[in-house]
Amino acid sequence: MNQDAVIFKGVRDGIRIYIDSNFSKAQIMDALQRKIESGRRFFQGSQTNLTFIGKKLTPDEQQVIIDLISREINVGSITFEMTEMENSDIRPIDPFDGIEEGMTRFVRGTIRSGQLVSYEGNVVIIGDVNPGGEIVAEGNIIVMGTLRGMAHAGATGNNGAVVVAFSLLPTQLRIGSVIARPPEGEVVKASYPEIAYVKDGNLVIEPYLPSKGK
Amino acid sequence: MGEVIVITSGKGGVGKTTTTANIGTALALAGKRVVLVDADIGLRNLDVVMGLENRIVYDLVDVVEKVCRLKQALIRDKRFESLYLLPAAQTKDKNAVSPQQMQELCEQLKEEFDFVLIDCPAGIEQGFKNAIAGADKAAVVTVPEVSAVRDADRIIGLLSANDIDEPKLIINRLRIDMVKRGDMMDINDTLDILGIDLLGVVPDDERVVISTNRGEPAVTDDNSLAGQAYRNIAGRLMGENIPIMDMETDEGFLAKIKRFFNANRKRA
Repeated sequence: MNQDAVIFKGVRDGIRIYIDSNFSKAQIMDALQRKIESGRRFFQGSQTNLTFIGKKLTPDEQQVIIDLISREINVGSITFEMTEMENSDIRPIDPFDGIEEGMTRFVRGTIRSGQLVSYEGNVVIIGDVNPGGEIVAEGNIIVMGTLRGMAHAGATGNNGAVVVAFSLLPTQLRIGSVIARPPEGEVVKASYPEIAYVKDGNLVIEPYLPSKGK
Repeated sequence: MGEVIVITSGKGGVGKTTTTANIGTALALAGKRVVLVDADIGLRNLDVVMGLENRIVYDLVDVVEKVCRLKQALIRDKRFESLYLLPAAQTKDKNAVSPQQMQELCEQLKEEFDFVLIDCPAGIEQGFKNAIAGADKAAVVTVPEVSAVRDADRIIGLLSANDIDEPKLIINRLRIDMVKRGDMMDINDTLDILGIDLLGVVPDDERVVISTNRGEPAVTDDNSLAGQAYRNIAGRLMGENIPIMDMETDEGFLAKIKRFFNANRKRA
C-alpha cells in the first residue's frame, strides 16, 4: 500500500488532515505542499476550516504549517488535535470501537421527518423516531420510544453494533454494511422491546427480554 | 394585543384555506376582531373562499412595499363587521416578501385585532418561511392519510426549529365510516405519530364543498357537522374547554338501530 504522509478528508465543518508520524518533517511538508497545490482550485474562494490530526507537532512545526497554508488557502480556522497515535498506521476511517464503552450522544425529543441525527459514537434517543427521520451513529442506537424511521448503527463499518427500541418498526435498518427492510405486507406491531444485530451477515431482530414475546 | 396563528400543513390540498376561512368566521361570529392573511402569494385562494374576490384593490405586497396603507388593503367581510381579509398578490411570487417584512406586518395587525390568522402556502420554501415569521402559535392541518401525516410531521419539526413550539393539530376530513371499517387512520394513529395536542377533528362533509364554492364558510350553516367542528375549534382558541366532538353523531338513525340490535345479539 502506498502510504501518504498526509491524508485530506472532507468533513461537514471543514477538512481534517491526518499526519502520519512515520514520516519526517520534510516529507510531511513536501506532501502538504503538493496536496494543496493539486487542490488549489478546490480551495479557492471558499473559507476552509482545517483540523490537523495525528503526529504530534512542535509549536515551531505548527507555525511553519500555518504559514504555508495561509499563503495558499483562504483559511477559516486551523486546529491541531494532537493525538500521537500509538499505531503509526493511519486509517482515517477506522470503525468506531466504542460500542461496549464509548462516546454517547443523548437526544431528548421526537426526531421527525426530515431531521437527521448523526454522531461519531453511540446515540440514545429519548423519544420517538418518526418515518422520514434518520439516525446515523458510528456505534449503537438506542431509541427509548418507537423507531419508525431509518437507523444506521455502526455507520463506519462496525457490524457488531446494535439497534434497540421499545418498539422497533423501522422503514429501514442498517448495521455496518448490512441493509435490511421490513417484509412487505401487514406490519405486525410488537408490543415488547426488540434488538437488531448482525448474525452471520444477516440482520436479525429479536426480543431482548427472554420473558417477553415468545 | 392579539395573537398571530399560522395555519399550515406542508402538504397541499388538505384544507388549510378552508380551515382558515371557517375558524376566522367562527371567531368573528363569537364577536372577536379577526383578520385573515393570505400568505399564498401568487396562488391566492382565501378571497375566493370568502367570496370577497371582487373587492380586492390593494394586497399584501402593496402593503409591505408601502404602495398603500395597511387599512386600505384590508377588506371587510360582507357578513361580519369584525372580520377582515388581507389578500395575497396574484401577479407576484413568494419572493416579493421577506420574513422580516411579514414580522413587521404581523406586529402591526396584532395591535388592531384579537386574532390574526395566516393562511400558509403548501411546501417548506420561502412562502412557508414568510408565513411563520410573525406567528406566535401554529395550527397544523392534516388529513388521515400517511402522506399528509408525514408532511405534517416535517412541518412540526420545522416549526420547532423556528421557535414555534407546541403547535396544535387539526385533523380534517375524517370519515367515521371508513375508520370503523379499519380503512382509514383513526385519530389515535395520527396522534401517536405526531405527538402534539389536538385542536379539533373536522368530519368529511360535502356541505363544506358546497359552501366553499359559494364563497360562504360552512360555519354559517347550522346544519353542517363540519361547521360545528369549526365552531368548537374557535371556542378552544378562545380558551373554552370543549371536548372533542363525539363522531358517533355522524351515524344515521338507521345505523344506530342496527348497532343497538347487533349489540343485543352479541349479548344473547
